[in-house]
Amino acid sequence: MTPAVEFTGVTVVFQETVALQDVSFSLAKGEFLGVIGPNGSGKTTLLKTVLGLIQPIRGEVSVLGATGGRIGKVRTLIGYVPQRKPIDVNFPVNVRDAVLMGTYGRIGLLKFPGRKEQAKAQAVLAAVGLEKMAFHTAGHLSGGQQQRLFLARALVGDPELLLLDEPTAGVDVATRGQIVELIRRVHRERQLTTIYVTHDVNEVLPCVDRVMFLNRTVEAFGSCDEVLNPAVLGQLYGTPVAVVEREGRKFLLVDDRHA
Amino acid sequence: MTAMLDFLNYGFVRNALLGSLLVGTVCSLIGVFVVLRGLAFAGAGIAHAAFGGVALGFLLGVEPLLTAVVFCLVTAGLIQVTGTRTSLRQDTAIGIFFAFTMALGVLVIGFMRRYDARIYGYLFGNILGVTSGNLLIMAGLTGIVLLFIGLFYKEFKFLAFDEEMAQASGLPTGVLGGLQLGLVALVVVVSIKAVGVILVEALLVIPAATAYQLTNRYGMMFFLSWLVAIGACCIGLILSYLLGVPSGATIVLVAAVGFGLAAIFSPKRKRCKICGRKLS
Repeated sequence: MTPAVEFTGVTVVFQETVALQDVSFSLAKGEFLGVIGPNGSGKTTLLKTVLGLIQPIRGEVSVLGATGGRIGKVRTLIGYVPQRKPIDVNFPVNVRDAVLMGTYGRIGLLKFPGRKEQAKAQAVLAAVGLEKMAFHTAGHLSGGQQQRLFLARALVGDPELLLLDEPTAGVDVATRGQIVELIRRVHRERQLTTIYVTHDVNEVLPCVDRVMFLNRTVEAFGSCDEVLNPAVLGQLYGTPVAVVEREGRKFLLVDDRHA
Repeated sequence: MTAMLDFLNYGFVRNALLGSLLVGTVCSLIGVFVVLRGLAFAGAGIAHAAFGGVALGFLLGVEPLLTAVVFCLVTAGLIQVTGTRTSLRQDTAIGIFFAFTMALGVLVIGFMRRYDARIYGYLFGNILGVTSGNLLIMAGLTGIVLLFIGLFYKEFKFLAFDEEMAQASGLPTGVLGGLQLGLVALVVVVSIKAVGVILVEALLVIPAATAYQLTNRYGMMFFLSWLVAIGACCIGLILSYLLGVPSGATIVLVAAVGFGLAAIFSPKRKRCKICGRKLS
């Protein structure tokens, strides 16, 4: 079966620095990949390369069966939640219209969202718990609500691949849990191939099938047990890492000597 | 009242009114995108490029508005390409082309054997001098601009809201951005005869900025922007006729007063019903 995403020896130069070096991995359809790594390790560049927004200087990228310049053609099959960027508080667009924008690529130029798209927008708004805010100005939502809006926008086009770039950054702990649970539910219900970039691996531990530790190159890639163990992570982070279990869930504790 | 309306008996006044309605319509509608996407400086750069085109038209003896169209479209294209294909920031590129096209205009004027005051009419505008021929060109260009705004209404909205996401969703953002600047170029050409190269920038920004103060709805912003522009054009024209002062400047000053009032009484100055914080 053709993998949903496959990188073969991919090197990417972004803003005159090597952002990804000889990256190779393969992700099957329906799999959930968690990508962790330090700041500047190329996590966002990886997602933008999957989207075809950045072209590699070496290697081959295959996304939903498309390669090279043709990746742009399958962009409409990809749901993307970018790194958090607050919405202009006075921008004249309501929550439902902002979600409907996620259908624009798929319905094409010169056409407008019809009843089908509007019904879908209402359904995903209900799924993310924003149905009562549909006609509020998008910029008036709180940080956590805006992240839910972006998730709804990514899901409204019925994507085959979901890319999430730190979707819980800057939101409180309770909201973070709700957003992760929502993503987990969507992945399970739709068997949606998902790549989730995060700094906090604990956040996605219950969801992921595989984990990648990225630091410009793939330092580790495998199942949770293979990558998320004290020996491997201790070596990668260069500091002691402990794994504790509580109520059947694993948590990673990274030693912080500055605390 | 009858005396006030007597001036409508003059053909040049009727042309001026029609011209100002066309100018007000196109400037205010494309102005919504200019304000929402932060393209005000691009508008200024393209407007100044028109001066080079007008000067060249006079030198070559062809219709200055046609050479201005070419100059503005080329400048818009260069601004878009420089902003997207090079490491140069777009405002830097605008600053370069802004100065370059103005300098070219001054140089072209220097090549002329005799002084032609009409060129300077294009700098400050003279809506009372709009001819039927000018009106035809203005109407044609207005039609083109309105058609494109209607066709790409939703794409332009996404572009203004979140350009990165619009691109990630599969929209051709480079083409759409270039198209938007091209439309700004056409709007500038439609307007310079009426309000001049220098003041067209104000009409691109002020009505839409006024509407932005008054609504949180995208469609309503177009309507309010149009209303403000039409109001400013009509009131400004009447005032300029009655007071015997320059028409373009009066139109812009009326629009600016409208903006001031909207900013003071903006409903956005109230607190948000959801989060409780002050919105501006």
